[in-house]
Amino acid sequence: MNNALEVDGLDWRAGGFFQLRDLRLRVPRGSIYGFLGPNGSGKTTTIRMFMGMMKPDRGRIRVLDMDVPRDMPRILARVGYVPERPHVYPALTVGEQMRYHASFFRKWDAGWAQEMMRRLELEPDRRISRMSKGETGKLLILLALSQRPDMLVLDEPTDGLDPVVRREVLTAVLDYVGETSATVFISSHLVHELERICDWVGVLDRGRLVAELPMNQFKSGIKRIKVSGAPRIPVDPPFTILSRQQANGAGTETWIVRGWQDPMRQYFDGVGLDLRDVVDLDLEEGFVELLRSSRPGTPRRS
Amino acid sequence: MYQPMLFLHWKQIRVVLIPFVIAAFGLPLLSVQGLGTLGGAVALEPLQALQAAQGWLAAYPLLAAAIGITLALSAWNWDHQLNHVYALSLPISRREYAMAKMGAGAVLALVPVGAFWVGALVASAAVHLPAGLHAYPNGLALRFLLAVMVSYATMFALAAGTIRTTLIVLSAVLLYFTVGGAAQSYLGLFFPFFQHTNVVGDTLTFLGRLGPFAVFTGSWMLIDV
Repeated sequence: MNNALEVDGLDWRAGGFFQLRDLRLRVPRGSIYGFLGPNGSGKTTTIRMFMGMMKPDRGRIRVLDMDVPRDMPRILARVGYVPERPHVYPALTVGEQMRYHASFFRKWDAGWAQEMMRRLELEPDRRISRMSKGETGKLLILLALSQRPDMLVLDEPTDGLDPVVRREVLTAVLDYVGETSATVFISSHLVHELERICDWVGVLDRGRLVAELPMNQFKSGIKRIKVSGAPRIPVDPPFTILSRQQANGAGTETWIVRGWQDPMRQYFDGVGLDLRDVVDLDLEEGFVELLRSSRPGTPRRS
Repeated sequence: MYQPMLFLHWKQIRVVLIPFVIAAFGLPLLSVQGLGTLGGAVALEPLQALQAAQGWLAAYPLLAAAIGITLALSAWNWDHQLNHVYALSLPISRREYAMAKMGAGAVLALVPVGAFWVGALVASAAVHLPAGLHAYPNGLALRFLLAVMVSYATMFALAAGTIRTTLIVLSAVLLYFTVGGAAQSYLGLFFPFFQHTNVVGDTLTFLGRLGPFAVFTGSWMLIDV
């Protein structure tokens, strides 16, 4: 199988307010998969489901060709996990926490751990409760990487870290991936961060997956175009219109479109429309437009 | 895996364990104080000696229960604080994790129990008993060990769940005894375990009938006939 993570038909409901609905994910093996979504969209809940910490109401989850929750201990032996909030024991020192963690992982690489500790400038005798947020973040990455996982699950690993630490953490992850071809599943709402490192992206909003595609397609496929003489309902466009707005000038509209390719310019000649302008959107703009267009009640005509 | 878990629990409990170790060592010595100066000749009659030793009866099971409960709560304390996220991310089954954690606490319980045993041996050796009375330091230490383990295991199981679950279970037990006792007293309804129509008496009856809990209600005499 070519996917490190497969999620099918995942449903979960908490009271009447929040739910995951029929979630389907495919994370290709060896990819760096960015899991994007606004705060409260269900990213952490989804991660906790496939880490076996929460039980879905319905659905099937496979991680590294093993079933969740049946094969959970075997899965966790091969997955490095960095949760949203630090989960290590605050009264231990760095060295004690490392020894404790190492005792559970057969593939623990003590040499690598020492090297990482030196590189990330962590002191073995320093008590975790006295460490800064950045230092704790580095320790979590060190623990996850030193167990030599086949898959890394990082839940907002750089949230709240300063740019220097953020870079150190991401560099450590990328170095590891470069060395081992491990799969990385990284969730974030920091779009620019994922843009630099991910080759796949999934976008979650209000418990629904609204897009899942290679990063280059996501980046290049969302455009802002200006169209003159736009009809109320365009005839069979080869792209998806995410949003339409009146622009200045009679009959001119600004469209945000998805799935754009350059040969599609011919479509406008064919239906008698005037394509005035095609502008690249950066990932963040594309992300925002995608969310706006996917939410119920958003005007969307295509 | 087991050794680091033992270290983890030790690191959590070591400061709290010190007063328990002192109390466990000192309690048998205190309980024979009424028999006269330690090591000195005793002029008490056997009945007087027994009455003097009985004054400390309640302290033994209370201390054992306190040690067991403290050990159990400390075993889960850090995991509760971290919402169990770290524990659940480790590659072992929940059963294995709980068993290893429980085993670590049980080993640590031997520290105050050992202190108690030494204290009981010292107390037994130090007093001159009237004819017809004997000291039972080993038997009392074994009872103390059992009581610590029973309270530890019970509270460990309760605390393994969420705080909410623990509160629900404890509240249900308390409700049963208060509402049940009242219903029996005023309405004449029959409820199992109610004899004394007061919470303490009924709880003791309840414990006495539940097998292992009977260890708290039996004889806790260091000095006996």
